[in-house]
Amino acid sequence: MSALSDLASAGKLAPAQVEFRVLVVDDDPDMAAFLARLLGAEGMIADTVFDGETALERVAAAPPDLILLDVMLPGADGFTICEKLKGDPATAMIPIVLVTALEDQANRVRGIRAGGDDFLSKPVKREELLARVNTLRRLHETRRELEARRLAAEVQRKETLHRAFTRYVSPRLADRIIAELGDHDAPFRGAAQRVSVVALFADLRGFTRLTERTAVDEVVGLLNQYFGVITEAAYRHDGTIFGMAGDGLLVGFNVPFSQPDAAARAWKAARDMVESFSPVLAAWTARGRMATGVGIGVASGEAILGNIGSPHFMSHTIIGDAVNTAARLVRMAKPAEVLLAGPVYEAIRALIPAGAAQSLGDVALRGKTEPTPVFSVRL
Amino acid sequence: MDDEAYRVTVAKDLEDLIPVFLRNRGKELDALRAALAAADFEQLRQLGHRMKGVGTSYGFNRVSTIGKGVEDGARSGDRASLEASIAEYGDYLSKVKIAYE
Repeated sequence: MSALSDLASAGKLAPAQVEFRVLVVDDDPDMAAFLARLLGAEGMIADTVFDGETALERVAAAPPDLILLDVMLPGADGFTICEKLKGDPATAMIPIVLVTALEDQANRVRGIRAGGDDFLSKPVKREELLARVNTLRRLHETRRELEARRLAAEVQRKETLHRAFTRYVSPRLADRIIAELGDHDAPFRGAAQRVSVVALFADLRGFTRLTERTAVDEVVGLLNQYFGVITEAAYRHDGTIFGMAGDGLLVGFNVPFSQPDAAARAWKAARDMVESFSPVLAAWTARGRMATGVGIGVASGEAILGNIGSPHFMSHTIIGDAVNTAARLVRMAKPAEVLLAGPVYEAIRALIPAGAAQSLGDVALRGKTEPTPVFSVRL
Repeated sequence: MDDEAYRVTVAKDLEDLIPVFLRNRGKELDALRAALAAADFEQLRQLGHRMKGVGTSYGFNRVSTIGKGVEDGARSGDRASLEASIAEYGDYLSKVKIAYE
């Protein structure tokens, strides 16, 4: 069970199982002891303090479920303490019963203005005390249970969203989008950012020819097998998947989270993709299918990260020179070949076994004015 | 005053609190006498108010009644009434008989 599910289950506690803590604030120790004794006999946990300032400190340290607050206190009186507690969002929801003299109508009006939830008359009658406290306890516990249910529903909703999202975007990107959901549609209206990325394009070379002589249902099954393997490889190296079209996959590194070793991660992901796909390819070959393996292009540079599309269809993706270069390289790549743009190769050359990389020289890529140095690694 | 006026019935579950309660009433009586001697009517009013709240809560109705007398006497500055109330309080505390049930 996930941590979120644990939290959701915790919210399902029955009210009777939850302890109920009352803070009794009265400068008369006999009255405080009397009230605490009666509450204790009802199974509540009563704590006593004898002035308002200490009450505020106690509430801040361990918020109780209810406060019995005497009006006449040394220093700040009960109304002032009540106003402070009700004015603080952290304590505003704690029910407060103001304890005041029976005949004191003016104080009752003041108490209502101060935010008191109920009144208890002095001298205190046992039955009246317990009736008032138990009523507030039931209200409080009902509210707490509703809050727990709301929280559990919210957790469940986020888990469902997470499961749904991670079928379309990388888990880390899904986490970020869900975390920002509290701010309405913040993830979808944020301004585009200029980012430094390492873009990796993977493509199943020869797959188009394969689809021409294979039933549609079977093509979907094969594609799912292929994407299952290479997306897992991308995630193992913390890549973020930005696009999937046909048999091509676009993975970004150093985006949306900083990765100082982005080039190394991209290289390891590329190698992992080819190696992980190898047994799948062997199975396809044994079944007489023709598919010649994964080709990969990797390039680095600036890109724009943002939500591209219309309000009705949106894609959170990267665009720019690094992406275009990686796309051009993957079209040149042969099965089980990784083509690296010069800067990426320079960043990771120490990771490549000696003699495994071959320079293809400066290559004129379509749409680019300057030739691009390209290196090939056959896996 | 007949014996009945000194009899008090206290809930059994408060029994262990009563020795402290009575000790505090004794201190309260001393404070009342001191405040009257000093003509500190505000102190007398506060002490009377406190007696009024705590007495009946524990089952000592006369403590509350006397407390109200002290509070009213302090408000009006009625020294004779205060003297009478405090004397009554001393008498009551010295003779009170408690039964627990």
